Amino acid sequence: MAKMLLKGNEAVAEAAVRGGCRFFAGYPITPQSEIPEYLSARLPEVGGVFVQGESEVASINMVYGAACSGVRAMTGSSGPGISLKAEGISYLSGAMLPAVIVNVSRGGPGLGSIQPAQQDYLQATKGLGHGGFRLIVEAPHTVQEAVDMVYDSFELAERDRNPVFILMDGCLGSVMEEVELPPMKELPARPDWALGNFTGEEREPKLISSIADEEVVELLNKRAAMLQQGWAAKDVKWEEYMLDDAEYVCVSYGTSARICKYAINELRKEGIKIGLIRPITLYPFPKKVLHDLDYSRVKAIIDVEMAIPCQMVDDIALQVMERAPILQYGHSGGITNKNEETAAAIKALIGGLNK
Amino acid sequence: MKNAIIFTGSGGQGVMSMGIMLAQSAVESGRHAAYMPSYGPEQRGGSAKCTVIIDKDEIVSPMAASGGVLVAMNNTAYKKFIGELEPGGILLYDSTLVTVPIERDDITAIGIPSAALALEVGSPKVANVIVIGALIALTGIVTPEEFQHSLDKKFAKKSDAVRAMNAEALKRGIAAAQK
Amino acid sequence: MSKEILRPASLKPIPNTFCPGCLHSMANKLVGQCIDELGLKHKTVVVMSVGCSTMGLRFWDMDMVSCAHGRAPAVATGLKRTQPDTFVFTYQGDGDLASIGLAEIMSAANRGEHFTVIFANNSTYGMTGGQMAPTTLVGQKSTTTPKGRNAAVDGYPTDMCALLSTLKAPSYIARCALNTPANIRKAKECIKTAFTYQLEGKAFSFVELMTNCPTNWGLAPLDTLKFMEENTIPNFPLGVFRDVEKGV
Repeated sequence: MAKMLLKGNEAVAEAAVRGGCRFFAGYPITPQSEIPEYLSARLPEVGGVFVQGESEVASINMVYGAACSGVRAMTGSSGPGISLKAEGISYLSGAMLPAVIVNVSRGGPGLGSIQPAQQDYLQATKGLGHGGFRLIVEAPHTVQEAVDMVYDSFELAERDRNPVFILMDGCLGSVMEEVELPPMKELPARPDWALGNFTGEEREPKLISSIADEEVVELLNKRAAMLQQGWAAKDVKWEEYMLDDAEYVCVSYGTSARICKYAINELRKEGIKIGLIRPITLYPFPKKVLHDLDYSRVKAIIDVEMAIPCQMVDDIALQVMERAPILQYGHSGGITNKNEETAAAIKALIGGLNK
Repeated sequence: MKNAIIFTGSGGQGVMSMGIMLAQSAVESGRHAAYMPSYGPEQRGGSAKCTVIIDKDEIVSPMAASGGVLVAMNNTAYKKFIGELEPGGILLYDSTLVTVPIERDDITAIGIPSAALALEVGSPKVANVIVIGALIALTGIVTPEEFQHSLDKKFAKKSDAVRAMNAEALKRGIAAAQK
Repeated sequence: MSKEILRPASLKPIPNTFCPGCLHSMANKLVGQCIDELGLKHKTVVVMSVGCSTMGLRFWDMDMVSCAHGRAPAVATGLKRTQPDTFVFTYQGDGDLASIGLAEIMSAANRGEHFTVIFANNSTYGMTGGQMAPTTLVGQKSTTTPKGRNAAVDGYPTDMCALLSTLKAPSYIARCALNTPANIRKAKECIKTAFTYQLEGKAFSFVELMTNCPTNWGLAPLDTLKFMEENTIPNFPLGVFRDVEKGV
């Protein structure tokens, strides 16, 4: 199929539909509003349902309701809205319901700014809500990758009976680039745990709930722990770029990682041996590749994000274990990183190291 | 980035559609393209900005800080963004609306009276197509035929008169650049 | 002549865990009878709220989902929109519905969602120990209004039926009380009408049931009934506020 020039938010929305999404509830917030706008017209065409919720809180709870029906359900927002959805995300995970949540992130904290940023890493990977649950968090770096991730995210959520979180920065939401859209998926049969009885036959009632006797809640927490161990063993994804001989290793995700690739290409022309580790899953975090680097060769790790301070730095430090210095570069608050500036900044950081 | 084209002006001047149309045309013609609408403090105050990167290879990153071509549709845009044009680059400006002196001597500055020409063609709305005509004549980034094809697609549902007006605007832009 | 009154089949054959004299059990029984009489036991999803009502999770013998505090109407929206042929009702208390969930109930009603809301109003937060609810009467004591609700700082009891009646979309809005046999009979009629309207495809239907809380009101069960007659009901007038069939 031919590639089309598509805006990130719209491409992601179409990918969701093709991946089987048949319910979306959302609330307007920049820079993700094109997702609900697109789906308000698109979902009814495929027999799906779009609801503009009265709030972020209501929207995530509508997704909770739709998920109870066994329908592939999704919501999207940006940082301030994800904070409001925290309650519902915790309940989804607690009630073992699959769903897909997209954060097209912007500058923060607070109302911050409507321009792109990457300041929701900590929220996404460690603090999506109360009770200590975790979700698989994926971070695309191109519109095509965002499309592919969203397309397959519903199966991932259904496999684990746990929501999946897509963290894409505002740059990816608004950029238009070439995309190949995947074909329409066939919808799966309703899962056996779904509520509702279309035949009216007599059967034992089903319950979906995040409240239970203490022993059951603890059992569910143990299940979640096992799930997380499984993710760490099997679901970690990352990309390595020019890493084999790298003396300087950038660690960067999303749009910042693309900017790093540009910078690496430029700096390599100048003979600087530099490479990139790009976490694709932010949780589970790609620990091993960072841990197993040859630190007799690697002179520094450079964490590049659109966040001040960089938020991935603690996860990196746990693997580097003081075997190399960890430097940071990036803008925040809606001032985006840029290709040429990042190349110059990384070069200066390396220069400072070698003084 | 040398292969980046920065379009600047005010809301309503069709700045964003210039970028989208050009990127679309490049992709349809087999090149790679990325379109990035402006984000940053400069977006406030009614100014409009977008950056288009076109290349024969895949675009590594769309986040260009500077470009090889700057299109400025009025004085404000010119003053604000002239610093983002790389040395040796091309400044293409609307000479009807950019009235301040062009002071940089390390660039090629080309003024096209696109606002005035647009009125001659029939609508101030086609000034952006006139500028694109000049841009493709100057850079060869896509051919006039390729761009005309994209225009036809964009205005497929519009009236014959609108299509004819846009085709005429493209021709006028190309001719103006060749003068 | 004798008439055998059996436990509704839509309730499990186990004792409930409500406090002695609590009218939640009466509300559950009436809803259960209507479910049975309309043959809905195997076509229903009950959407549960947070509060004493949550204890229904133990008693109802139908598909159920428990929700976050106040969010039942949003969850019911997601459910009903994705399975329109399923019978869906929420069962919510007054803290849940009229305070933390005010946005959800008003918005679901305003959209004319096609489910039913059973609203049990006992003027207090029972489960958490008797704090002031939006429906607590002026002067009524609670653990957060030890001197009684003071209208000057706490405002007045929220009248949900009146609020909802300002909206165009709902098809049925009624307030009943469970303090006398006559009122109980009337309440069952209203619940059945609300359920029937949903089955007929009519928009949002809502029944408020005035109940009691012997434990937190600090009154013997029989005294709570008297209190309701003398204090609660005058503040919350009973009646049908909206009935599209009858042009009300």
